[in-house]
Amino acid sequence: MINELKQKLLANFNDVQVNIPEDNRMTVNTKKESLLSLVSYLKNMGYNHFAMLSCVDWIDDKEFELIYIISAYPQDDEHYQDKEKKNILLKTRISRVKAKFITIISIFENAEPYEREIHEMFGIHFEGHPRLTPLMLERDYKIPPFRKDFDTNKYVENTFGKVPSIKERKEGKK
Amino acid sequence: MDRNQIGKWLKNPGKMANKYSFHVVYFCTGCGIIEVPPSITTRWDAERFGIIPVATPRQANLFLITGYVSTKTLAAIIRTYEQMPEPKYTVAFGSCPINGGMYYDSYNTITSLDKYIPVDGYIAGCMPRPEAIFIGVTHLWKLIDMDKADGYKRYREDYVHYRANQEQILGELDWPPLFSKENL
Repeated sequence: MINELKQKLLANFNDVQVNIPEDNRMTVNTKKESLLSLVSYLKNMGYNHFAMLSCVDWIDDKEFELIYIISAYPQDDEHYQDKEKKNILLKTRISRVKAKFITIISIFENAEPYEREIHEMFGIHFEGHPRLTPLMLERDYKIPPFRKDFDTNKYVENTFGKVPSIKERKEGKK
Repeated sequence: MDRNQIGKWLKNPGKMANKYSFHVVYFCTGCGIIEVPPSITTRWDAERFGIIPVATPRQANLFLITGYVSTKTLAAIIRTYEQMPEPKYTVAFGSCPINGGMYYDSYNTITSLDKYIPVDGYIAGCMPRPEAIFIGVTHLWKLIDMDKADGYKRYREDYVHYRANQEQILGELDWPPLFSKENL
């Protein structure tokens, strides 16, 4: 069945590369322009569960890779097996400089918190998102903390390392 | 009751009663809280040591910091600690509250807890087993006997410095100082 889907995708879309590394998993590399239509096409095909959105920072290529994991559940609940659960990994790359992409909330509503998290941790702006406010972090970071050029050791040294111990405070150190 | 301790009981009954009835705040930080349910229930039964978890910090006198402390949790820890009545004792679990442990380079985890609140003792291990918790508690008994578990006194004395450290990390705190100059 997953091979049928591969043929359909190749017939309908020009710029997709489809791999099937395992029986129940398929990776689709696509350009950023056709991602939205691909997502809605897959939803109409019955892949109606948006599992998660992930992001990879390829700093040498100066690109972010967004990974949308979409899966389908078998219709027959009684004979459910884990093998039958099919996962589709949609991968697309966007530029790292002034990174922005379009939201998929109009197709999958539960993408909202995932996009908010990616916005907070990687600094990608999702156009059309209703509220890109901080989700988990409390402090301000000059560089979003999950980017590769965020130097954690240096950051810890400059913030938590600079807090003096109580003994040092008593002696008058700052 | 141990007969050898009758002298101690007569000499300082308040301290002894306090020592044998630790009421623990039910406060979960990090991964170590998973060790607390088995130690308070039938398998290890912490109540034979007089340890019992209570619902609110206002009834408690022992604070177990059970793992790494993020900055968001630090604010909650300070608020909880300040609500506890004196005398109060703090015990931190594992390596993370000492120097950050495996989160030494995390962007959001503080590296040493005793810069922000006083800590009376540490239990080593990642995470310590319930037996280690009991050994830690018996060590705390000894410290109380020798009057060395004086974290709450240090907090009172050096409150200005502790508050300054807390504000350096958390920004302006949205609660008033616990001790002002008049009630010190």
